[in-house]
Amino acid sequence: MSEIINHAFLFDATRCIDCRACMVACSVENNIPMNKTRIWVAGIGIKGEFPKLESASMVYHCMHCAEPDCLSACPVGAYTKRSDGPVLYDPDKCIGCRYCMNACPFGVPHFDYDKGLIEGAFIDKCTMCPQRIDVGLAPACVATCPTDALEFGERADLIAKAHARIQAHPERYIDHVYGEIENGGTSYLILSHVPFTELGLPEIGSIPVKEVSETVMGYTIPFALGWSAVLSAVAAGVHLYNQKNEKRSSAEEKLEDSK
Amino acid sequence: MTSTLSRRDFLKMGAAGAAAVAIGTMLPPKVAQAARQAGLINAEGDGTITSMCEMCVWRCGLIARIKDGRVVKLEGNPEHPHSKGKLCPRGQSGLMNTYDPDRVLTPLIRVGKRGEGLFRKASWDEALDLVASKMQAIKDQYGPEAMVFSSTHNLSQPLFENLLYAFGSPNYGTQRSLCFNAMITAFLLTYGIEEPSRNYDNVEYILMVGRNLMEAISTSETSELSHAIDRGAKLVYLDPRYTKTASKATEWIPIRPGTDSAFLLAMINVIVSNELADCDFVRKYMVGCDDIQEEMSRYSPAWAEQITGVPAATIERIAREYAAAQHNALAHPGWRTSNFINSFQTERAIATLNALSGNVLRPGGCLSAEIEAEGAGLGAPSQPPYPRLSALRLDGTPWKYPLVPLKLGVFQELRDAIVSGEPYQAHGWFISRQNPIQSLPDRTKTLEAFAKMDFIVTVDIIMNDTAWYSDVVLPEASYLERYDPLLPVGDKAYIRQPVIEPQGEAKSALWIYKQLGERLGLGDYFQYEDEEDYIRQQLVPLGVSLEDIKAKGYADMPEKDEEQEITFNTASGKIEVYSETLKNAGFSPWPTWEEPPMPASNEFYLLTGKVAQHTQFGTQNNQLLHKYSDEPKLWMNPKAAADLGLSSGNWVEISSPVGKAHIILLVTEAIRPDCVYMTPGYGHLSKGLKTAFGVGASDSALHVTYTDPISGGQALTQTFVTVKKA
Repeated sequence: MSEIINHAFLFDATRCIDCRACMVACSVENNIPMNKTRIWVAGIGIKGEFPKLESASMVYHCMHCAEPDCLSACPVGAYTKRSDGPVLYDPDKCIGCRYCMNACPFGVPHFDYDKGLIEGAFIDKCTMCPQRIDVGLAPACVATCPTDALEFGERADLIAKAHARIQAHPERYIDHVYGEIENGGTSYLILSHVPFTELGLPEIGSIPVKEVSETVMGYTIPFALGWSAVLSAVAAGVHLYNQKNEKRSSAEEKLEDSK
Repeated sequence: MTSTLSRRDFLKMGAAGAAAVAIGTMLPPKVAQAARQAGLINAEGDGTITSMCEMCVWRCGLIARIKDGRVVKLEGNPEHPHSKGKLCPRGQSGLMNTYDPDRVLTPLIRVGKRGEGLFRKASWDEALDLVASKMQAIKDQYGPEAMVFSSTHNLSQPLFENLLYAFGSPNYGTQRSLCFNAMITAFLLTYGIEEPSRNYDNVEYILMVGRNLMEAISTSETSELSHAIDRGAKLVYLDPRYTKTASKATEWIPIRPGTDSAFLLAMINVIVSNELADCDFVRKYMVGCDDIQEEMSRYSPAWAEQITGVPAATIERIAREYAAAQHNALAHPGWRTSNFINSFQTERAIATLNALSGNVLRPGGCLSAEIEAEGAGLGAPSQPPYPRLSALRLDGTPWKYPLVPLKLGVFQELRDAIVSGEPYQAHGWFISRQNPIQSLPDRTKTLEAFAKMDFIVTVDIIMNDTAWYSDVVLPEASYLERYDPLLPVGDKAYIRQPVIEPQGEAKSALWIYKQLGERLGLGDYFQYEDEEDYIRQQLVPLGVSLEDIKAKGYADMPEKDEEQEITFNTASGKIEVYSETLKNAGFSPWPTWEEPPMPASNEFYLLTGKVAQHTQFGTQNNQLLHKYSDEPKLWMNPKAAADLGLSSGNWVEISSPVGKAHIILLVTEAIRPDCVYMTPGYGHLSKGLKTAFGVGASDSALHVTYTDPISGGQALTQTFVTVKKA
């Protein structure tokens, strides 16, 4: 293990040139099939009218949340959050239910519809390259980034670095480090010159979605018991009503027949 | 086209092949033996080996991760000045060039008609004997000049040149006139330097004229530019297209194509008429001080506004800002500068702006002498002098193009002379690592030239279009499978070495040229046992062993004497903004305005350019790059598209005076309404490229051939096209 306590990425959209070296590096490092990817590019493309144009792109992959919703939603414990950052996924435990896909506010986990349940590999997402960080290397995407748009290190240091960068160039950046508090804090931190929503990031509070969902889910049993009584009563009522109708219609039929 | 074949599948296939070889020989293969002896890989064949990238000409240092005798990952070498630990998308994808399922892995001899793609496998002996006998027959019947040799800039080129000049042919085709002739010729004539290197350490103000460094990536320089912008340096970027570089610029100026030199001359006008230049530097080192003010007086910003469409006030402000940054200003020399006949003048104006800012060849200045001198300071096998060349060069250098350096040449003119048979007919063509069918303008004419040939042989790693139309294809080992001559950079010499065994029957260029040389009776020009022996001879003056440089990746070169006095390798020894050489050759001695032709009202300028995922015409079949690059489309401004009733996704037909192409339209604000843009390198003819075939269209099929009489550069953007719904 490296000396870093809590690994994180810092992405600076002002530096990204959308060259996709990160995507190729990830593909090779993690032996990703030719029709799959763990990194994709989001952003505004080219906005405005010639010649007043603006552009921004973002390298998108797993945010490695401190409180991962995928982990919370997984019914079989296929997800784990390592104390030093990475959110990992175990294909041997996965049953392919895709709850994690619905749970992730960032839309990161992808289901492999080509393989599906039969071949046994279901969900794919960025792992933070544990095979590299455990020997002190940066993840493949970060290591090769020609403009240092991607950086890697201790989360607290990167947060301080990001704020220092905003302070040095307030005219350049939106005054916020995305991921510092979002969803309870993520290990992917983002600096941008355009609104974060334009980079494809959700507007999301500091309370992790899973905390809300787990609180709500805590009421499930009493709530369900209460509801079941109500629903049973309603169902019984409906049943009686239907029976009454059926009797009536059969009586009418008889009447018709006798005519 | 999306392939469903995974890389894992390729690895499995290749591993099976490797296992078969190992059982057959019982001894570990040569690369593994050497790497094991050097302690680079363990008994299982796992480890790392240092080498150099060849996905473009920047030549980054790389570290290859090897597992079970296969390369599984490439990393940038932190100790190499061109990579500094990074690789671009092409560098990262390099192993897919090597493991391309379309690799040519045995010598091939054509059995069908040219272009039909029917070949049979042959042994090296049979193929080499055939090539040598055909070359000899052409020499005996028509003279050595009837053989044309062409190759694109690479590390084994000195040995290629040995083959060509020992054979006795003057006809040497390089890609340079399609690329940087204007830049190199202008800087040679002004500074006596081919390509000055750029220093971004202290730069505050950068002027780039179509140098799309954020997409035409040179890893270390792209990184330095990005860091400079990050630090707060200003970037003014001239390009008719909103490239990724434009998106990072402080100011993007979508100037009218072909008018860059008017913009730059007006900048010079503002600087000299207001005496904003570094006077001490200029007086001491520049020829033309006394008259430049007078000479440039006609190029006022108001005059330039009429031509460029850029407001005079903007030009004046940029000139003043540039001058205020003094020697921390940099006017970037550019790279591919084959745009218009007047691109040479654009480059002369850029050279002048750098002289005026005093940034040249001084400590902390932004421009200095070239860093690479190939082969300098290294040993070489001894060899006899070349035979005397008695024939004219078909490309017109120097008898038609007196100022074009011989090593650059005029490739498109060479092709035209093959077609016309003037001043004499060529009969054979030896092509190595080059794809003239895709790279030369006017593809139909290039195919005509091919049809004139009695014999064509191509050395390549895949079946590119040129190989597809050849009579013999010789399979070269990829850059991860072979040695090349050493590359000196600064105070070190770097090695390219095999990180895996060559697959199939593939062989290095050093081996192929030597084999051919010996069969042609020219063995004295190839006095090395094998590739390792060649490098050992190179290392002699350094006192370093092959084993050491293999393990370390580089060897230290003897320190050069730091030159105290600034000198320029020109006739006057100064910076020749006023050039007697140009005057004597009948050209303007001053950087000057030459009006470029303009498209008719229904025509567009056809722009060419780069994407970060591809290098010219050679990487489109790389499955990883194919996976991560956008589908090639024709860019058009919404105003122009509305006028033509076209929208995004339409199939359109582009027509130029020499050809037509069909392609999908992309309507985008990122281009001037009078221009369209195509990414080059697509529209391959070879069905031997299963990933690239059928993708996009070729701009080479549309480009008209125009040659600058001074630099010999091809004018690629001087082609005007019409577009209609297909």
